[in-house]
Amino acid sequence: MIFFEQVIAILWKDIRYELRSKQMWAGMGLFALLVLVIFNFAFDLRVDNRAAVAPGALWVSFVFASMLGLGRTIAAEREKGSMDRLLLCPVDRKAIYLAKLLGNMLFIGVVEIVALPIFAALFNVPLLLGPLLPIVLLGTLGIAAVGTLFSAMAAATRARELLLPILVFPLIVPIVIAAVRATGTLMVPVSNEPPWLGLMVAFDVIFLSISMLTFQYIVEE
Amino acid sequence: MALAGQDTNVKRRDASGPGQAERFPIVSMVLLALTFIGMMISIWMIFLYAPTDAIEGDAQRIFYFHLPSAIIGMLSLGIVALGGIVYLWKKDERWDWVARAAAELGTVFLTFALITGSIWGRTTWGTWWTWDARLTTTLILWFIYIGYLMLRSYMGRTPASARAGAVLAIIGLIDVPIIYESVNWWRTLHPQAVLPLGSSPQLPLEMLLTLVVAFITFTLLFSFLMVQLYQLEKMQTLAQQLRASVE
Amino acid sequence: MQGLTYLVVAYVIVWVGLLAYLGVVMLRIRGVRTELAAVKELVREQQEKSS
Repeated sequence: MIFFEQVIAILWKDIRYELRSKQMWAGMGLFALLVLVIFNFAFDLRVDNRAAVAPGALWVSFVFASMLGLGRTIAAEREKGSMDRLLLCPVDRKAIYLAKLLGNMLFIGVVEIVALPIFAALFNVPLLLGPLLPIVLLGTLGIAAVGTLFSAMAAATRARELLLPILVFPLIVPIVIAAVRATGTLMVPVSNEPPWLGLMVAFDVIFLSISMLTFQYIVEE
Repeated sequence: MALAGQDTNVKRRDASGPGQAERFPIVSMVLLALTFIGMMISIWMIFLYAPTDAIEGDAQRIFYFHLPSAIIGMLSLGIVALGGIVYLWKKDERWDWVARAAAELGTVFLTFALITGSIWGRTTWGTWWTWDARLTTTLILWFIYIGYLMLRSYMGRTPASARAGAVLAIIGLIDVPIIYESVNWWRTLHPQAVLPLGSSPQLPLEMLLTLVVAFITFTLLFSFLMVQLYQLEKMQTLAQQLRASVE
Repeated sequence: MQGLTYLVVAYVIVWVGLLAYLGVVMLRIRGVRTELAAVKELVREQQEKSS
């Protein structure tokens, strides 16, 4: 199981590094909440509207917060040069990708967990944490799978904060649609809904695999 | 007239000597001539030969330009991805030139498709835009192209840039059908204006013929432009390499 | 008549657009060719200096 040992090792290193810099967490969390608040003003949230708009507001804030979080690891690594040192070791590139992905998901996940109860309160919708969790997990995985790969690409450029969303947003459209609809059906059950969770699983499997396989081409010098 | 291919003799690693470069002007000129002829025939057919659509009237004729550009614009992504895959496999930068050329052309053709589609939609359904699966996917594809062009532009002419482009194209290609389906599913909840294209009855023969001719013309145009852009990429890479060797 | 206007506009846009793009491509090719010639001159000069 050397592969997974490598993953855990890199992941643990990243976590220790992140725990030291608390600014990013606070920043992302606040950003997510602010987006939710803005949605309140952007849309007229009377009772019947709320159920329609809430899932969208939630996932917009998650997507934007994810973009903030995705930029951090790879950019930090490139600047410090530790990515080059990591690449010198005979580490499986797929392990590096997986470690980065898990790190990103952990990071974004914490922000999401904190934002969810506040979201439920602000929009006055039931929290439904249990059924919501798989949706949030699959959605975040999809966004992070694609995002981790492209953050490595964008990190090599100067305008990385601008380029990352431009590259990632079009590609995650299926996940966003599915996540919003799945969350919506949870709040307001509708019959004859397409299998959104199934779509998310398929998307995640496909793009996780492709990203793992192609990561080496992005990272090698 | 600055047609591609009239290259002077240049020493290169994979010596594609003067013979090959001189052949290209002929290819370019032939393609240009064919394209021009095709255009003339198409215009005649579109405006005079094809019958007027009973329901939509004259504006329906936009369709003959709209559909070929849309299809070619979409297929071009396949070429970008193919060029990328072969580049990753063989590390031959000529395939990257193909990819870059196809990406630029795909964007151009898709832009025309979106503009003509929007105008056509205005006449048929009264709106400049509707979020049906086909149009939405076309728009997202356009954004993927733009992202590709921006990425390549920011990363410059390096092997890393070529590899990044290849990965983006591959992921984009696989994603497009998924995007289409997911928008389709999403749309079943919000049925709106139905595109006449998919559910239309059999096209009369004259219309079909006109469409085929227009399609061939656009393919010729695409091929001609591909040759030009390929040569452009080749020369730009060469210039950059030579400049680097001097400094 | 309305439909005809849209039709004409659409075709004008496509034609003007295509010709403009064609022109831009030709200009770019000409530009590269000039630069290529200039760089080759530089290479030649350098080779003469070193030989």
